[in-house]
Amino acid sequence: MAKEAAVDPLDESSRTAVASLSAAPALRIIPPLNFCPVEKQLYRSGQPSLINQSFLEQLNLKTILWLASEEPMEDFLDYCLGNNINIEFVGLINDYSYTNINPWDSLDERTIKKALELICNQDNYPLLVCCGMGRHRTGAVIGCLRRLQGWNLASVSEEYRRFTGARGGRILVELLIESFDVLSVEGDPAKLPEFLR
Amino acid sequence: MMSEYVDSPFQMDEDLVPDEECVAQKIPSLLDKGQTSLLINITPDEAQFAQPVIVADERNIGGTSTTFPEPEGPLKLRSRIGLLKSEEATGTTTEEDELTYEEDVDDKFDKDAAARLHAEFKAAQAAQQKQPLTPPENFAPVIDKIYRSSFPQAQNFPFLKKLGLKSVLCLIPEEYPQSHEEFFEQEGIKLFQLGMAGNKEPFVKISLSLITEAMKILLDPENRPILIHCNRGKHRTGCLVGTLRRLQGWSLTIIFDEYRKFAAPKERSMDQQFIELYDQTDILRYAQTHNYLPLPWD
Repeated sequence: MAKEAAVDPLDESSRTAVASLSAAPALRIIPPLNFCPVEKQLYRSGQPSLINQSFLEQLNLKTILWLASEEPMEDFLDYCLGNNINIEFVGLINDYSYTNINPWDSLDERTIKKALELICNQDNYPLLVCCGMGRHRTGAVIGCLRRLQGWNLASVSEEYRRFTGARGGRILVELLIESFDVLSVEGDPAKLPEFLR
Repeated sequence: MMSEYVDSPFQMDEDLVPDEECVAQKIPSLLDKGQTSLLINITPDEAQFAQPVIVADERNIGGTSTTFPEPEGPLKLRSRIGLLKSEEATGTTTEEDELTYEEDVDDKFDKDAAARLHAEFKAAQAAQQKQPLTPPENFAPVIDKIYRSSFPQAQNFPFLKKLGLKSVLCLIPEEYPQSHEEFFEQEGIKLFQLGMAGNKEPFVKISLSLITEAMKILLDPENRPILIHCNRGKHRTGCLVGTLRRLQGWSLTIIFDEYRKFAAPKERSMDQQFIELYDQTDILRYAQTHNYLPLPWD
């Protein structure tokens, strides 16, 4: 054993060196995985949890659009309840209208339509759209939103793939975005968020 | 039974039979006016090409509607000739007398390409041809009213117009093409240019004072909405956004993750080191004395 390397607690100089290295870090703000603003008061991310608490407080969220097939953790549900954050579940496994049963299945068109109609309502803002990793389900919904905004498909695809990680985008998700009928989205024009007007 | 089955991503929209429930949910005011869509109308033929066509219906979308008329024959031809001419004009780029790294070859501002795109844009303008909205590559909001992107091209101007920019922060030293200067002037956009060299490994370093200068511009609410851009929107822009995230108190792990997302597949460890080691004492004090923190999300 290298005795020289051991810290002598009585040695003033070595103690301060250790102290400066092991000082507790200041409060770290931790956004959820794959967090990114989409438009004013509209955000996207992977599944948020309690370690994101100090970050989420800054956003003043009114609604979380939950696209994951699994339900949130109990403690996170409590947190939302205590902070008056409404969670809209779209795409849960036991959703009666939802026939895909695997967490890795894509959302279907009806689910995306439902999600977009929540996004098209200013009353739900500030709004966070999230799924497990913030990649494919969130990407599909935001991609369809971009088409609703009139973006060209190449730009939509570029944005989608930015969030999909090393394994890249899924062709099925991109086909879904391409073929999604933006005409089918319905809502109250008076309640559209500013960026859709 | 098959028409009920909507899970297949290959399902075409036209195949979907609208069920009564959906029809019942239609908003009465829209139905009264015979309007069937909320925002964007797509004729069935075009729908399968996913080309969004926005139909002029000023009642519902407040006059921001656009149409995409087919350019007339002669104009279309002329714009094609213009394109061919400009392509001829752009010869070989002169080799610069400096060390180049293979990974950086596409990270250079290409004057010839810019001139060619300008010619294309002018031709399209002359033909009154309107495009779907095209954001610049690597575009994203950073916080509300601060945006990031790669070097904006002329075809991105209609998109940028919608952002209502007050200023642009350019991180490359090259001059803008004429079309950009015209656009900025026309839109009343203030231009900040802080030309910095990229963090080319292993020698060049991003200037600390330039980053601090850039941060001061970003922090001033008077300058927002503001667009930060460099050439690819990866490295220089990524470093600046990273230092801004540190001012927001973000965990370094998440900052690096965001940097890599935008820099992929050309992430540079030097850039991430820069973000981590940037001494934020001065800018932090500056921000605190001006009461700029915490940065607003909306």
